[in-house]
Amino acid sequence: MKTRMKEYRAGLGLTQEKLAEIVGVRRETIIYLEKGKYNPSLKLAHDIARLLNARIEDIFIFDE
Amino acid sequence: MKIKWVLIVYAFFSILGLLLLLSRENIYVVLALVLGFLLLGHRELWSLIRYRRLPVIDERVRTNLTNAFRLTGSFFFIACVVLILLLHFDVFENVPAGLIIGGLLLIVGIVYVIGYHYYDRVYPGLGERAARWLKICLITAGLSLSTVALAIVLHNVVSSWFGFEDAFFFILGLLVAPTVLVISLLGSLGIYLSGLFASSGRGER
Repeated sequence: MKTRMKEYRAGLGLTQEKLAEIVGVRRETIIYLEKGKYNPSLKLAHDIARLLNARIEDIFIFDE
Repeated sequence: MKIKWVLIVYAFFSILGLLLLLSRENIYVVLALVLGFLLLGHRELWSLIRYRRLPVIDERVRTNLTNAFRLTGSFFFIACVVLILLLHFDVFENVPAGLIIGGLLLIVGIVYVIGYHYYDRVYPGLGERAARWLKICLITAGLSLSTVALAIVLHNVVSSWFGFEDAFFFILGLLVAPTVLVISLLGSLGIYLSGLFASSGRGER
């Protein structure tokens, strides 16, 4: 899985810690998500996408 | 709030248990328990000391805990079956029962700690191929360990039933299976460490 979370987050000037606090996860979870090493649940993906003002498929890109 | 009270009750009973074990002079069990707690809960403890609050138990942590618990449960079941088999054939003839049970629980605890650490820190750093190889190595290690136990039992059975010194199960149990066990354990350790170093788990603030 590829992800564009980092650039969307940076665009809004959010830190990993702040993003983690808002969506209710640990900072390590955000780190793994940004590295594409963790597949989030639909709810978490939805919460992150809504916070970053984007669609889920714009942020999380699944390889075919 | 609910988690806070669960933790308070858990801490109360843990301290009570540790005091009980200390009063019975089981200092090594106490040390093992404290070490396991520190290994598993170092992040929570650090967060409590530094920020005066517990870190969130999010979906990733919950999944890791469940996976580690499932792995430990399966291991415990298999270990019990093997142990019962070995006890049935008097392999641990002169070993006290308390030591056997203590050893089993200690190994189960170690499996839980390693299992949680694996899902939390190692697995994200491993590719699909490496994860598959790790699985193969661990299954091979488990099978060869069981083979050692079974070969010891079968060697005794064949020798006593047929009245001659069996060589096949003797070589299998004392030479072939331990060699395979060592190789597969070394392979597992190598893959485990490569996953650990690949997933640093650190990022910018």
